[in-house]
Amino acid sequence: MLKLKLSKEQCNESCSSGMSPFNLFSSQRDPISSFSAGPVGDDLYHWQASIMGPPDSPYAGGVFFLSIHFPTDYPFKPPKISFTTKIYHPNINANGNICLDILKDQWSPALTLSKVLLSICSLLTDANPDDPLVPEIAHIYKTDRSKYEATAREWTKKFAV
Amino acid sequence: MHTAAVDAEHEYVYEDDFDGNSFDDTSAEKYTDMAAGKKRNSIMSQESEFEIDDQLYSDDDGTDAYNDYTLVEPLSTVSARELNQGTVPNLKYECLTAQSIFEKMVERVNHLKLIFNICTEDLLSLMQHFDWNEERLLESWTDKMDDLLVEIGLKNASETVSGTQIDASNGTETARTLNFRNNFSCMICCEEKTTNTFSLECGHEYCIDCYRHYVNDKLNSGNIISCIGCSLALKNDDIDKITGSPSSKKLMMSSIKSFVQKHNKNYRWCPFTDCNYIIHLKDTSSLDEYARLHYSPFVKCSDSHRFCFSCAFEIHAPADCNVTALWVNKSRKESANLNWVLSNTKECPKCSVNIEKDGGCNHMVCSGCKYEFCWICERDWTPHGKSFYQCTLYKSDDDKKNAKTSLEVAAKTLKKYTFYYKMFNAQEESAKLDWTLGQAVGAKVRLLQEKMGVSWIEGQFLAESVRTLYEGRTALKWSFAVAYYSDASHNLTKIFVDNQSLLSAAVEDLSELLEIKEPAKIMDRKTDFYNKAGYVENRTSALIECGRDLLCKGICKPV
Repeated sequence: MLKLKLSKEQCNESCSSGMSPFNLFSSQRDPISSFSAGPVGDDLYHWQASIMGPPDSPYAGGVFFLSIHFPTDYPFKPPKISFTTKIYHPNINANGNICLDILKDQWSPALTLSKVLLSICSLLTDANPDDPLVPEIAHIYKTDRSKYEATAREWTKKFAV
Repeated sequence: MHTAAVDAEHEYVYEDDFDGNSFDDTSAEKYTDMAAGKKRNSIMSQESEFEIDDQLYSDDDGTDAYNDYTLVEPLSTVSARELNQGTVPNLKYECLTAQSIFEKMVERVNHLKLIFNICTEDLLSLMQHFDWNEERLLESWTDKMDDLLVEIGLKNASETVSGTQIDASNGTETARTLNFRNNFSCMICCEEKTTNTFSLECGHEYCIDCYRHYVNDKLNSGNIISCIGCSLALKNDDIDKITGSPSSKKLMMSSIKSFVQKHNKNYRWCPFTDCNYIIHLKDTSSLDEYARLHYSPFVKCSDSHRFCFSCAFEIHAPADCNVTALWVNKSRKESANLNWVLSNTKECPKCSVNIEKDGGCNHMVCSGCKYEFCWICERDWTPHGKSFYQCTLYKSDDDKKNAKTSLEVAAKTLKKYTFYYKMFNAQEESAKLDWTLGQAVGAKVRLLQEKMGVSWIEGQFLAESVRTLYEGRTALKWSFAVAYYSDASHNLTKIFVDNQSLLSAAVEDLSELLEIKEPAKIMDRKTDFYNKAGYVENRTSALIECGRDLLCKGICKPV
């Protein structure tokens, strides 16, 4: 049995307002909400999410899609999350895999999907080049920041707009 | 003499458990219990001089450098002759249980208790976090005690009181106990129900079902388990309370494992299946001496499992650890199916029926055509009389010199390897069958007691013979690994091969003798048993010495 875990307010919100599940996280309460998520079709274990590129980052203006797979023992095991939109980032590789501690060993059952997506958003703003998934991008990030930002902006324009 | 013809369509789907097998059969070790008892006593007597850890406050690397130094010194001055004949000091070791390791751990942290003023359990966590390095722990402790406690979860981050005393009662009244709540809404399962809940001082409260699921999940990882919502650590008591069973034992075990792992120079788990003994070697400096002289530090746990302390493998003399590792690695690479076919069945040289050897010596009689042949060389048995046992001799194709293409060389190498692998496996298989034989011996001794009125102690020569036979076979088995890596043209190698043949013949003799079933005949040939077992013993030690000689003189060069 899958119990989709959202924070309590989110549950209430979705129940009372009768919104489509895809917009569970959106906006009335938090007008600058930068992400949304919902199940794909009838499969409650498979969700799709979208993240707006944070305005103070080279990803600004882009919309990035992610696919989320919940394991059957969720929330005791972390959801599997990957980018489906191509993105130029030191901690996200060509297959869209994300290197984020809370998706691996630092996962806690007390984390909600919104907290995880928020973490991914902040990863877009502040990359972690010291623990890179793509060493080449991390190298450029550390040595030539403007080149990194230019490339990231270019990829955003090309793939995420 | 035992033979069995098996169906030609036998399926050869088999895992290559080449190294695992040797550890599985522990039954024959039972027959060495007497000797083990004696040894145990001598081990016990050394216990008085035992200290927790010789390198208590010293860095491991430091002692290493020291050992290297002492090793280099004599090598440059002694002659090659002395090098061969050097003797190694007896290994001083003791066999411990997990419980006694835990006591040592507690004893060790108790030294620190005065400085830290916290309970033993917390100190154990601290020490585990610092990999049992007291210096680093003390350093961090003086620098940033509070941060450290929060990091490891021994203290709540929001607690601003600075003091060394960690006191569970500081928290809220309901902390660290199960609380019964009506209509509790759990954050994890999103259910509202009347249930027991659990929380630490931090106040993160979840229903007991979720907590139990979480803890059971984390127990397997072996790390300190923290609160679901923050990094405050659960204590062993809490874990037992949550799971309702003494499951914190599991954590304790992993803590013990980490301790043994950290001190892996001095401690070694017994590699035999389901054996939980740990060998503690007090003085590791002699290990270098062992390696230099191509001896192997064989130890024996309280369950009479004998193994090599250096590589945690079964007894592998005359091969040293290096040869053993290479040989095992090589045989692992070869295809599993091929190995199985090679080692388990052979075609009858005459009627080509597939034959699996299920016991006894190498003198085979095909159950189909009654052809008598040698299991090793697959030729007629007739010339295999006692004076002409030459099956262990590898006939190198030296006369067809100058194998030009590399393909030919490769084929030759493979052929050579296959030959030695066959020999190795034949002995391994026979040794395994001897285990089974060993089990039957107990029954035989009982039969002797009943029918012949032989006292128990008098019947022990049978058990002794089986043990000798097994040791002979093991030495013979590993000698093929040495032979494979040796320069076949060297004179000493030839002597080694002769030694192999002699031991092989002796072992086969003894094996045949042990096949006798009638009690009266066994007692008649009692002196034969003594003589042949004694001979096998002598030949075994001769072969082991000869093998060591090859290694010391560099004639056996494992590459």
